[in-house]
Amino acid sequence: MASTYSAEWRSVCEKFRRAQHLTDVESKKDPENDPFRSKYKAREVLKEIYNILKRYDSEDNESEQTGGDHDRDDDHDGEPGCGSAHPGDSAAGLRAARLGAIEYFLGVNHVETEELSAGEEHLMNCMKLLDKCLVSRENVSVFIQARNQLGILWAGRDEIEKAQGFLETAESIYLRYMKEDGQPPTDLAEFFVGEEEELSQQERTRRFEMAYTHTLYYLAQVYKNQEHYEKAGRYCHITLQRQLAFDQFVPLDWAINAATLSQYYITKSCYMEARHCLAAASVIAGLAGEVPSEAAAQESEAENEKREQLRQKRAEIARCWIKYCLNLLQDAKKLLEDNIGELDIERQEELKRARRREEEEKEQGRKSAVLFGSSETSDSICALEEKVSCALPLDFQEARAIFLVGQSHVAEAKEYFQMDGHVTDHIEILQDHSALFSALSFFEEDLERRCKMHKRRVDMLEPICKDLNAQYYLLICRQLQFELAETYYEMMDLKLALANKQDELDAHSIKKFNHLCNASIKYYQKFLDSIRSPEGKFPEKLEEDVLRPALVAKFRIARLHSRIISSDVSAQLQNLSRSLDCYNFVVHYCEENPEARKAVETELELSEEMVSLLPLKIERLRAKKASSN
Amino acid sequence: MENLPKGTLIAFIAVHVNVVLKLIHRPLVFFQLDGRLNGHADSREKVTEFGFDYCYWSVDPESPKYASQEEVFQDLGVSVLAGASEGYNVCLFAYGQTGSGKTYTMMGTPDSTGLTPRICQHELCCPLSIRSFLEIYNERVRDLLRCPEQKPNTLRVREHPEKGPYVQGLLQYIVSDYKQAVKLLEMGIGNRMTATTHMHDASSRSHAIFSIQYTQAILENNLPSEIVSKINLVDLAGSERADPNFCRDRITEGSNINKSLVTLGIVISGLAQNSQMFSSCQSINSMASEGEGSTVGSQSSSLSGSTRRQCFIPYRDSVLTWLLKDSLGGNSRTIMIATISPSCSSYNETLSTLRYAAHARNIVNKPRVNEDANVKLIRELREEIDRLKSMLLSFEMRNSSPSLSDDRDGSFSDIVLQNELKVSVRNWGT
Repeated sequence: MASTYSAEWRSVCEKFRRAQHLTDVESKKDPENDPFRSKYKAREVLKEIYNILKRYDSEDNESEQTGGDHDRDDDHDGEPGCGSAHPGDSAAGLRAARLGAIEYFLGVNHVETEELSAGEEHLMNCMKLLDKCLVSRENVSVFIQARNQLGILWAGRDEIEKAQGFLETAESIYLRYMKEDGQPPTDLAEFFVGEEEELSQQERTRRFEMAYTHTLYYLAQVYKNQEHYEKAGRYCHITLQRQLAFDQFVPLDWAINAATLSQYYITKSCYMEARHCLAAASVIAGLAGEVPSEAAAQESEAENEKREQLRQKRAEIARCWIKYCLNLLQDAKKLLEDNIGELDIERQEELKRARRREEEEKEQGRKSAVLFGSSETSDSICALEEKVSCALPLDFQEARAIFLVGQSHVAEAKEYFQMDGHVTDHIEILQDHSALFSALSFFEEDLERRCKMHKRRVDMLEPICKDLNAQYYLLICRQLQFELAETYYEMMDLKLALANKQDELDAHSIKKFNHLCNASIKYYQKFLDSIRSPEGKFPEKLEEDVLRPALVAKFRIARLHSRIISSDVSAQLQNLSRSLDCYNFVVHYCEENPEARKAVETELELSEEMVSLLPLKIERLRAKKASSN
Repeated sequence: MENLPKGTLIAFIAVHVNVVLKLIHRPLVFFQLDGRLNGHADSREKVTEFGFDYCYWSVDPESPKYASQEEVFQDLGVSVLAGASEGYNVCLFAYGQTGSGKTYTMMGTPDSTGLTPRICQHELCCPLSIRSFLEIYNERVRDLLRCPEQKPNTLRVREHPEKGPYVQGLLQYIVSDYKQAVKLLEMGIGNRMTATTHMHDASSRSHAIFSIQYTQAILENNLPSEIVSKINLVDLAGSERADPNFCRDRITEGSNINKSLVTLGIVISGLAQNSQMFSSCQSINSMASEGEGSTVGSQSSSLSGSTRRQCFIPYRDSVLTWLLKDSLGGNSRTIMIATISPSCSSYNETLSTLRYAAHARNIVNKPRVNEDANVKLIRELREEIDRLKSMLLSFEMRNSSPSLSDDRDGSFSDIVLQNELKVSVRNWGT
């Protein structure tokens, strides 16, 4: 075998360097009408290297047969059970690894130039060469990277299971290697460099771990494709964790990805994991540097861009936090409410007892989770986590703590997403703020204060709803109208319950009550008006997305009209007939559009009853009016 | 396009083959794609059939089924104008592979003018129309009606509460005759060609939006008022290299694995989106519901919106989606024209264009109105109905004095609850 120092070997190394330069540098400058020019050149060079290596191989084989320069380690009859496997560090093993590496580079080259079948062949050749060897420090990188490539290749052909096979093998090879050896292995490029250019141990580790991070990332996608979402989520999580651990990340991008992953965990009710992602996101986003001042931004376009990016991404992370707090509160509410939506005291006690029992188990769960962070960051991440609970709140105090964290993130997010320029985002944040209040009010026992919380919702949504042009923001307008109508309704109910506690019914309370009724009617009506055509015509057939809301709005307006308190009989009559009209609308609409029935089953049933009962009542009232005259 | 609104009219056109898809009550025209024409009939021996609203064939002018520019305008252009004059925002966009005729359909050639100039011509009866023309290349917005020498030419997109989404600093022209309109159009097309460094495929890499803001004076309740509507005519980048953000659905649909860790964000947000969809479909059938989703039934109970879990996916809309927001989600009509080429070599792209359009037809992705639980209301009403019924019953039985027990505790809530009742009760009682 040619000595590593021979002139010929040096020329091989030189060729290899050229191939790499062509692939990585030159190819970027290729013209559009000849996009693979440099890669084709690189391929020719790689083939030359391949031929030289092949020649060495046969020369070596000859010399072995003549009993010449026999390699001590080249022991074909190794331990039993290993068949004809070469140890990776034997001469034959090294030869195989070196040739395998060139096959690998040729394979990648063909894949990148869109010649998949040829690429596959080279990669399979690489695998075959290595299959004769035992996994070792010298060849483990080739083992893993070839399988990574084959994984992508088969996934591209829609053969996900085949891809999965290669990638999972790569995964297990890595795990076994780390368990049995664990030393930084030789990198593929190192086969073709002189000793003076060998990589540092640190660089070897970096490259090797990077290849394995890719394996995991590809597996995440494979699992996602196969709809194994939990597994996919776990692999995304580990990918993020490894990026951080091996310092291979861009802070802002990493932070956004972690924040997004938190949203995945939220939908799965995994609040501990969600909180961990969010805390890490906030800490890592902090590493991205200071926001340039407004003055600096005005002076340079680059600073301006940086300012925008930093402010936007941080505001987005704040929005992810808002959702965390909101979902935590809402989940707790769902768990604690009785069949009419009030706090179920027994259930509350039961859950509190259960939580005390579980507390210890939770600690253990935490230890087994995959945690983010390096020595510098993990303390800050932990500190941030401690600022908000990840357990469902069971009473007002706990709920309030979560609410306050959510509210502080609302303020933070609104700083960037201002109404002027970011209408949709700004309103979404306000809607979340309103929802935070709504969820918190569930835990509030004092009805007066509960009512005030709903008043806060009205105060933040009403002015916005007024200013918004429905031509451009129709759906947002509708959401706001509906929410306002419901909030007023809720307030009316609370006022009623409050008045209930007092014995007297004073004129002020009646006035307040009627005002709330009318405000609720007004917004339901606005919602219904938004469905009209530009000429003001109400559609004969409701679109599927507004069908239920529109009928529910009518149903509620019917109810609200009949609740208005009045001492005047004529006014009572008017309110009742308005109420009847609305019940009638629901009934008639469902008669004419039978497919709508199933969307509003309960409401329809009740409306039908009211349509049959109300006329009698109106009749009586009229009779009374006539007789009193 | 992630969120095509319902009521989207989807049209398919090519220089060669035209298919149009309209969502509202119209029998579908079926278009068959025959893989066997392909020469290499290996694994594709199937004939694939797609249903659209209109199909046009404009390959060969001699052919009896040839559809001219005028014919396409009569079907689509006229409905664009009708929508705008009714006060809707209208968006018409062309989607398809490079070379399949998007620009031909949208702009046309001097001898065979396309939809945009034709629409301009007919719309000019309205004196107050404002035009702008922009290009989105690489997520950057460029004003096509501004001299390329003028700086700066990268504009920001923003939203105004009153005026909707807009491009800050975009020039807007008021034109009064067809000649001026065409001149503007030509100037924009000229700028699109010259300013780009990739001359040969200027149109295939960038999206171009020609907007007409259309103001009509009307009398409302005898008071002068005006209706403002917007027409967006969009020439999209070639579908084969369309902005991945724009048709993310299509790209992530395939099983291609993203190789670079830079795209980790796409994978994670896909994951979050997916689980959000999954958890929300239990309560409200929002999000992209395939097929003619009439399954509102799942929310028939009073507990509709409250079980929906919402999260925030920090994924910015592409500039294009952002700008067309009002056309896609507001009070709008949308027409999609998909263009395909009959050439054998384009089989794969054609199939994917058709699939995408057929898929788009079923995409309904509107934020819903969230509804609080109205259990309480229903319970109250039930009680009231029972009371009403029993009272009627007792009245009919001429039971001399119906019970006034409801008055007993005299609480406010009962007074209100029975506001209606009492009147009648007292009446009967006497």
